[in-house]
Amino acid sequence: MDASEFWRNVSDVFEGMALSGHRRQVRAAAIEIEDLFLLMCFMDLMGLPNPGALYLLDVYPYLVEEFHLWHRRMGFDRSPLATFSCC
Amino acid sequence: MRHLLDRRILFFGGKGGVGKTTCAAALSLAASRAGRRVLLVSTDPAHSTSDVFETRVGPIEREILPGLTGLEVDAAREARRYVDEAKRRMSGLFSPAVLEEAARQIELTASMPGVADLAVFDRMSDLIVSRAGAYDLVVFDTAPTGHALQMLRMPDLLSSWVTALARRRREGLEARDLAAGADLSAARRADPVLEILEARSARLSALRAELSEGDHVAFVLVMIPERLPIEESVRAAHDLAEAGITMGGVVVNRVLPEAASGPYFEARKAQEQVYLAEIERRMPRAPRVIVPQLESDVHGLSGLERVSACLVAESAPRG
Repeated sequence: MDASEFWRNVSDVFEGMALSGHRRQVRAAAIEIEDLFLLMCFMDLMGLPNPGALYLLDVYPYLVEEFHLWHRRMGFDRSPLATFSCC
Repeated sequence: MRHLLDRRILFFGGKGGVGKTTCAAALSLAASRAGRRVLLVSTDPAHSTSDVFETRVGPIEREILPGLTGLEVDAAREARRYVDEAKRRMSGLFSPAVLEEAARQIELTASMPGVADLAVFDRMSDLIVSRAGAYDLVVFDTAPTGHALQMLRMPDLLSSWVTALARRRREGLEARDLAAGADLSAARRADPVLEILEARSARLSALRAELSEGDHVAFVLVMIPERLPIEESVRAAHDLAEAGITMGGVVVNRVLPEAASGPYFEARKAQEQVYLAEIERRMPRAPRVIVPQLESDVHGLSGLERVSACLVAESAPRG
């Protein structure tokens, strides 16, 4: 291993460390945005009026899986909503 | 109000019982006689278009007279149709288990208050955006004023809602890609949710563009010379101005004819004059026509023709 390869490896290690922290933050941000999106789609289940409910009918099947991931993430083994039990 | 015959979309509104349906039908008749292909749509849950034309109109477009097609929108039926259509679209795309779960959410949503209104709105936007080519003029005989104005505000409201949803979805997808270390410059795999939302958003934009064409669209306020209908119409005129919708004109319906005489009629006519002056003072810029009280109520063609003649008269005869 010559000197330049050594320094390239060192730089890769540091870059990886820096990026992994960054990625964790981005992942957390992504989850927040997705949760907000889910909340907007399922507002009527929370007792809030959903102005676009009718326009979301054909979106719901796509969201079943995301909804499932959400309630697992929130610590509910089963869906907390009686009207939407994905598992 | 002959100028209204050249419009593409007309709304007739006013307090309940002032004669919206009769005026909308009479104007549609005049337009169809002038050679335009007219669709007359009643969105008032208390349909009376069938009664005015003395023929069954119903929830499917049906030609009543040459060049004049009628439609009475049934809110419950539209909601059902919309839900069934959504289910049909998704039936081939998901596993039965997913569909079963989604179906529950869909049925729940479909039974929410307000969904029937949304379904009627959706049908109206479909008629305006997609069916526009089939007709030269679409006349909406709306439910009493407040409701009609709410319908006209719906495109803006829904559009901002759907646009916000699409933006969140897009941000979420981008953040997820970023977290996964994906190359952002590469094309992302298509997301069906985002596609649906963007298609809805585009359709609402098309509707808003159509409704904001000042030369194509107008709202006609129908009233009778009495206190409450005037107050409601003045408020409606204000709301229309705020929403940027052209006020096509004011129809003052059931004004007592000159020939009515005797102390009772003289007293009523004097009161009507006060109200007519007030209408002129409070809505000075709106074109105005006066339709006299006829000897019998209006149903069937001959009565409609008389009202038609008043509506398209060049200047308002002063009662």
